[in-house]
Amino acid sequence: MSPLVELAILNGVVQGVMYALVAAGLTLIFGLLDIPNFAHGAFYALGAYAAFSVISSTGNFWLAIVVAPVAVAILGLLVDALAMRRLARAGHVYQILFTLGLVLIVQEAIVLVWGADPTSVNVPARLDGGIPLGAVSFPYYRLFLVAAAAVVIGAVWLGLQRTKAGAIIRAGIDDPAMVECLGIDVQRLFTAVFGIGVALAALAGALILPIRGGEPAMGNELMAVSFAVVVIGGLGSFLGAVVGGVLVGLTQALMTIVYPAASEVAIFAAMALVILMRPQGLFGAR
Amino acid sequence: MRPFGVLAAVVVLAPFLLHYPTLETQILTFGLLSVAFYLLLGELGFLSFGQATFNGIGAYATARTLIDGHAPLLVALLVGTLAGALGAALIGALAVRGRGVYGVMLTFAFNEMAYYIAFQWRGVTGGDNGLGGLPAPELFGLSLDDPVRYYYFTAALVLLTFAAVLRLIRSPFGAVLRAIRENEERARAIGFRVQRFKIVCFAISGGLSGLAGGLYAGVFHFVPLQSIDLDMSTNIVVAGILGGAGSPYGALLGAAVFIVLSDSLSHVWAHWPLLFGIVFCAVVLFFRGGLWSIVQQRNSYASHA
Repeated sequence: MSPLVELAILNGVVQGVMYALVAAGLTLIFGLLDIPNFAHGAFYALGAYAAFSVISSTGNFWLAIVVAPVAVAILGLLVDALAMRRLARAGHVYQILFTLGLVLIVQEAIVLVWGADPTSVNVPARLDGGIPLGAVSFPYYRLFLVAAAAVVIGAVWLGLQRTKAGAIIRAGIDDPAMVECLGIDVQRLFTAVFGIGVALAALAGALILPIRGGEPAMGNELMAVSFAVVVIGGLGSFLGAVVGGVLVGLTQALMTIVYPAASEVAIFAAMALVILMRPQGLFGAR
Repeated sequence: MRPFGVLAAVVVLAPFLLHYPTLETQILTFGLLSVAFYLLLGELGFLSFGQATFNGIGAYATARTLIDGHAPLLVALLVGTLAGALGAALIGALAVRGRGVYGVMLTFAFNEMAYYIAFQWRGVTGGDNGLGGLPAPELFGLSLDDPVRYYYFTAALVLLTFAAVLRLIRSPFGAVLRAIRENEERARAIGFRVQRFKIVCFAISGGLSGLAGGLYAGVFHFVPLQSIDLDMSTNIVVAGILGGAGSPYGALLGAAVFIVLSDSLSHVWAHWPLLFGIVFCAVVLFFRGGLWSIVQQRNSYASHA
């Protein structure tokens, strides 16, 4: 294998893991809570810009990847409490429309606050450099991305499967009325899940910032891809989000070498095929 | 027919009242797109997130017919309309098989595919440079290469089409669409072939969008790549909802407000989309009838007084 292909595969995996992180958040919101959140990409972009602000004022990357997701998640909690709950009764169409409006607001607010020009930050000094792979080298920072995403996705999955709060959430999704009869405020838990989903998107934005930089419309393309990932992997399935994300990332990377013209079309064609042939996705139960 | 009379009068007098014929032509073509969106959402109850697909297909088909076929304008527009309808029938046939949000996602996925195809297929679409070199529009030897003349040409076609849409909505076909919107299972139980009605509704919506795309191509003798991108689809959704998803007149009103505001506000404040987003979210949350419901309320007060 030529080093170019090797590098493309590695980069594809890294990109795919980032997709998986965003899609894991979307699968919580869309799959579990049944809210088609078209603003998921906007939260990702906000995460990147929030991290940019923290880094440019404190110089501390590690602080940024903690503060940015928390700050954006608080915004997400507000959105859920003030709007999404009210819209739940009106149905999916209005939830889609409202989150679409959020995209317009966030994108323009970013331009207003941070300007329309792309922003960038350096890779943190401790993760500078890379592993030599013959003629090329693979940056440490990308390895860190994969590890960080794996840890966070694993933690959320464990929290959902192995903790009491996770059990209540899963029960609340299956039968909210029954859980409420037990005296538990399901809505509050759902709002928390929405916040965690948003935080995952924002974290992905913060993590990608040193590689890709930020630009106001960065969320749009990612939103489309993450919906494709969630649909391909199976709505509500964590495993599906991870496998789907890596598959999509790899496909994009390899198509860019083999037949770049079709690399984007392939993703959305796969998404359409999955909806038509296997609506529950690769790993979905429903 | 009273609102249609008012509409026709406004459309005919517009260039005299405010002399911006090119902008007014854009209002009409965008209005047609908004009406096409309304037909799917308002009558059938299907949120299409890919209306730009049919707009783009129509625009490119019209442009290619003019450039390669040296065809008369009306023939080229007919080709654009049919291409839009055919594209929408094909995409619609697949989209209506997705349940609920999945249907929306399919229109969205096909829009993304169409965009990337148009982006890559430079020989036909000009890629991101857009497709230029359209001949100056001409009708039976009469040059339409004048903003006011082209406006009236567009106005005649759009008003005719709009009248046909109103007629369609009042027809038994329209009643079946609304029956499907209200209760799909019941419509099926009565014996209507629900999927077929949905696909035909898609085809009609695509045809209207294709015509709008073709007419727009004539304004600047140019088809920009933006005519098929997702932002275009978003704008159509925003205009349709802003005007009100309850009436085809609302769809036209929303389009007019959208074009006028985006044109005038962009000179005043560069960040106008922010205001737009806020107003849009407020409409979705509190005011689902949109602008048209205000007009209607005023009318009903007036008639009671």
